Amino acid sequence: MQYQEYTQSEYNFEECTKCTICTAYCPVMQVNPLYPGPKQAGPDGERLRLRDPGFFDAALKYCLNCKRCEVYCPSEVKVADLIQSARIRYERTPPKVRDYLLASTDVMGKLARPVAPIVNFATRQQLTRTAMDVTLRIDRHRTFPEYSARGFEGWLKRRKKEQAAFPEQVAYYHGCYVNYNYPQLGKDLVKVLNAMGVGVQLLEKEQCCGIALIVNGQSAQARKKALHNVESLGKAVESGLKVVTTSSTCTLTIRDEYPSLLEVDNAAVRDSVLMATRFICEKLEQGATLPFRNDFHKRIAYHTPCHMARLGWGIFSQRLLQMIPGVEFTPLEQTCCGMAGTYGFKKENYANSQAIGAPLFDQIRAVNPDVVACDCETCKWQIEMSTGYKVENPISILAEAISDNGKD
Amino acid sequence: MRYDTVIIGGGLAGLTAGIRLQKAGKNTAIVSTGQNALYFFSGCFESIQEPTPEIQSLFSEAGIRLHYSPGVRLMPMGTFKESALALEDVSLFPSPKFGRKVLIINFMAYHDFFSSFLAEGLEKQGMECRIRFLNLGDLAQPELGPNQMRAVQIARKMDEVWDKVVQEVRVLLKDEDTVILPQVFGLNDATIPERIRQGIPARVVFAATLPPSVPGIRTQMLLKKRYEVLGGTYLMGDRVTGAHVYEDTVQNVVTKHLDRHYLEADNFILASGGFFSKGLDSNPFKVYEPLFELDMDYNTDRNAWYDPSFTNHQPYMGFGVKTDADFRPSRKGVPVKNLYVIGSILGETHPELGCGAGLAIRSALKVANLITEPHAVPGVYTE
Amino acid sequence: MKANEFDVIIIGGGITGAGTQRDCAMRGLRTLLVDRSDIATGATGRNHGLLHSGARYAVNDPESAAECIRENMILRRVAAHCIDENDGLFVTLPEDDLDYQKTFVQACRNAGIRADIIDPDLARRLEPSVNPDIIGAVRVPDCSVDPFRLCAANMLDAKLHGGQVRLQTEVTGIIREGDTVKGIRTHNRNTGEDVEFYAPIVVNAGGVWGQELAQIAGVKVGMFPAKGSLLIFAHRVNNMVINRCRKPSNADILVPGDTVCIVGTTSSRIPLEECRNVAVTPDEVTLLITEGMKLAPRLASTRILRAYAGVRPLVSADDDPSGRNISRGIVCLDHEVRDGVKGLITITGGKLTSYRLMAEMATDLVCKKLGVDKACETATTPLPGSEEGSYEEVAKKIWENPTTAQKVAASRMGTRVSRMRSTDHRDEALICECEQVSMGEINLAIERLEASTLTDLRRRTRVGMGTCQGEFCACRAAGLLAKAHGCIEKEREDIDSFLQERWKGNFPIGWGETLREAEYTQWVYKHVLGI
Repeated sequence: MQYQEYTQSEYNFEECTKCTICTAYCPVMQVNPLYPGPKQAGPDGERLRLRDPGFFDAALKYCLNCKRCEVYCPSEVKVADLIQSARIRYERTPPKVRDYLLASTDVMGKLARPVAPIVNFATRQQLTRTAMDVTLRIDRHRTFPEYSARGFEGWLKRRKKEQAAFPEQVAYYHGCYVNYNYPQLGKDLVKVLNAMGVGVQLLEKEQCCGIALIVNGQSAQARKKALHNVESLGKAVESGLKVVTTSSTCTLTIRDEYPSLLEVDNAAVRDSVLMATRFICEKLEQGATLPFRNDFHKRIAYHTPCHMARLGWGIFSQRLLQMIPGVEFTPLEQTCCGMAGTYGFKKENYANSQAIGAPLFDQIRAVNPDVVACDCETCKWQIEMSTGYKVENPISILAEAISDNGKD
Repeated sequence: MRYDTVIIGGGLAGLTAGIRLQKAGKNTAIVSTGQNALYFFSGCFESIQEPTPEIQSLFSEAGIRLHYSPGVRLMPMGTFKESALALEDVSLFPSPKFGRKVLIINFMAYHDFFSSFLAEGLEKQGMECRIRFLNLGDLAQPELGPNQMRAVQIARKMDEVWDKVVQEVRVLLKDEDTVILPQVFGLNDATIPERIRQGIPARVVFAATLPPSVPGIRTQMLLKKRYEVLGGTYLMGDRVTGAHVYEDTVQNVVTKHLDRHYLEADNFILASGGFFSKGLDSNPFKVYEPLFELDMDYNTDRNAWYDPSFTNHQPYMGFGVKTDADFRPSRKGVPVKNLYVIGSILGETHPELGCGAGLAIRSALKVANLITEPHAVPGVYTE
Repeated sequence: MKANEFDVIIIGGGITGAGTQRDCAMRGLRTLLVDRSDIATGATGRNHGLLHSGARYAVNDPESAAECIRENMILRRVAAHCIDENDGLFVTLPEDDLDYQKTFVQACRNAGIRADIIDPDLARRLEPSVNPDIIGAVRVPDCSVDPFRLCAANMLDAKLHGGQVRLQTEVTGIIREGDTVKGIRTHNRNTGEDVEFYAPIVVNAGGVWGQELAQIAGVKVGMFPAKGSLLIFAHRVNNMVINRCRKPSNADILVPGDTVCIVGTTSSRIPLEECRNVAVTPDEVTLLITEGMKLAPRLASTRILRAYAGVRPLVSADDDPSGRNISRGIVCLDHEVRDGVKGLITITGGKLTSYRLMAEMATDLVCKKLGVDKACETATTPLPGSEEGSYEEVAKKIWENPTTAQKVAASRMGTRVSRMRSTDHRDEALICECEQVSMGEINLAIERLEASTLTDLRRRTRVGMGTCQGEFCACRAAGLLAKAHGCIEKEREDIDSFLQERWKGNFPIGWGETLREAEYTQWVYKHVLGI
């Protein structure tokens, strides 16, 4: 290479031309006067931090990691990566107990599952919520996702033989939410894939993707999980399997955050980890079919989760939903719902989280759909809590729209 | 995924072509690496004199109101520039002396709107000026932080409280015949500027701020919406990273996010912009088109790329992709049959089309016409 | 004594002049400093910003080397807020002679410079950007220094000691009565006013232009103007100074400075007439990049911010076409003794690192001539801003939870940042986002540091020195200047000349991101703002 053929730095912050487009899209900057905004927190701040780590700004913790700045940046600067990696490198304040709890999605799930009815009952009670608000600073308005008494993993394990019978196979990275809170989404995926002649396997052993740990100041633990997952995914990929997912955030974390934030090499598996909607869409384009019901009718508004926008794969979910006979489809203008994983749970963020989501909630009310489709579980919590509209993963809608084999 | 036409670049040129093609019943996709130069759009269509009906309808159908009135427009530093066609909220005057007494409104601690420069410029034209500051915190809560006093942030607040500004101005207004406001109105609602004009009993002029440009963002949003309503697929935040070209025909393009899921099409339009948008790139040895390595029209001597005077015309800004009369480029001298090049990536290689917005719209419409009615134009290649 | 009469007049607002004025003022003299443009516009502001340990001169010029290390240690104490104590490496590449290292280390030790041979592995760990192929490394106490800040702090302290400063004031004549200098005739380039100032002693601290001044005074001082070109890279690639361990040559020093790093220099003799308008040639740019890459390979792919050139005020000695063998030693001329012209002193030669010593020598001579018996205190008295602690301690004393911008301001202003404490949070508004310069800091520079143009502001605050090179901040800051000076018309011209000055440094390296930025700047100023 000749000198100065390309001028790029790590995280390419020098490609920032200070055009300020990112600041027009940052949802936090609009509601929190203390947040310096993506340009200053990202590329501008990075130059200063390179000069002296002491110039790290504690206000970077307000970043949602929604990555809208990266979607809209005309220079492809990895603004959010710059911010999150600076937090990893320079943040000195130890995480609070609350943050440990919120970040440990899998540990919490394992603990809560055997006693799910009690936990669910408790977290629904005003008294518990007030207590959590006061002691843990988890906002009292939040409805905690319910825990499921029976996990998805067990459910699928019991069907191992039946699934193995299908001519084509995929592995499914289900994530904490499907396993501990909402196994139905996993079951829906199995139904849809089975209907296409595809059997579903579990990974040898998956762990939480680690995103909640990353944004809650526990990157070392996140890295352990990442290493584990990459190994586990690697085994599936080596045996010739694609790995499908139903959570846009887990997917983005595994594909993009592992190398850029955790310095975990995922090159061997990255391209094989796909959102299920992309996998199905591509199968259908290649000639596969789905047994759609002819009596299905729904008005669906699609919300592109921030991380789905960052993946650039919203188009697959949209196309899939549009393919369903009897669907009246409205894409919602892309904007952040304000939840951003564990961010919205925190008491100090609650008001901002609601303010950020307001334009989306208004849009949904204006469209007044039967159901809002969305590929992210935390968007689901936020939208359901804030608007009362039901939110479903496109896969669940798809499962409902195809004829039933009567199995569950 | 297969489309009739895939457009690389989602700025004014790409959107114009996309809308025109969708209207003609084509199925298109636009791949856009983030947002684009519309974010700095002055609101004035430079180098377009009288708009054709086609241009008029392109914008009016998107809900963008234009007005045509050859004259001058007020620049934010208090100077004037010749203009003819502009967004409705950009005032055009027959001559720089458009009023007698002017009330200039600014926000306290807002450094991106140059009220004192405006006043001095207008005073030079014989107008009497008075500057008054509004406290944004009194109008809308929560208050913006000192570093959030930027056009878009204020505009979002103004979408909610613009009527309070009208009330404040009415109180401040004495015998002035003109009120100048910063261009921070109507980000999400294009009707707000007009409603402000109706609410203030004086001529209301909106003067530009430092970027991002609120009317520019609004224009982008409305054009994109129009394109999507017509059924177009806008892939925001993705980038075309490569293309498969077989002999003289582009088979498909590859994007960063869709990776091996290629975008196939009969025709491709390259509307990837100039240097800023990376449609053109440069290093110490050359200026080049990075995607297809198309033949360029530029001076290979680096010393000739620049004029040492900042204010003079900069030669590099004229560099562009070389095309034939039908906007088809070539690679190593061989024309590419189903690829068209439009917008500022052309540099000044088609001076008859003007520059900036004029070049973007005109080249986009011409190419869209070539694609939809190939037989109507003699000499155009068809399969 | 009348308002236009002083004890001593200093001509030249470079570091030598500012340092001399401070020293004279601290010894109780009534001082005036004049400069035809602004502070630090000559060689002071156009070098690496390297506070030499002296190691570079140890082999060839042991006297200068010893001077450097003494001054280096003094300035760390008295100019702390202008200095980054980051140390330096002298690295040996495979193509260099490793034997030179022995000679070098011995010479350093002889001059009193600590020079530790370290394992190349350790060097690579200490400074990850260094060329991994190095076969030898020596660690020395080099530092970075911000020459603008240093110069401004000296000028400010002179003012605090009663000194007067007239910038944009050109010397048009030296008033002589017979063989005695009585004062100077000046022309104010802003107001057009012609004013005479009187003093029994005039100090010529005009740097490379000292030759012209001497001529006006009727004496002869031969300068050897040597142009040196440098490149600024857009961020800090290295945190230690990296030098080549060999005989000094082209582009063999890479210095981290504030948010950037600077590689240089070239060296070529130029005619005196060209000194005011030196430009970097394409060949020099190529040389600087290719040689710089040998120090830190990452420079090959790091965005370049600017190219600039300065002229070293070397004093003619022998017939050396490169100028590299000329002594960098201090030249203090008593023209009474040398030429029979009373009341005129020329202080020149030397270097940024030894400015304080030069000032001391000149002031000693001034005092001797005026019969003032007062000792120099500049080696022990901190400059305003450098009185105490690190920027973090300084910022914490003022703000409970200082923001990044406040910490950055403290790093630039030292203890003087306390003046930025304000009850109005709107003063925190950032004018320059790249370098985090707030409205408060800019207003202080206008009020206290004699900044009258955008370029002056840039030197004092770093406004417009960042990646975007003044894309947005130029007009924001112009608004503040216009308000302070009450003149819009002048400010319009000021914006023009600021942008022109930025472009002058940009186009020699105008490719890649720099050209993108330039195109954007063109749009913003021509199409959006209408300038």
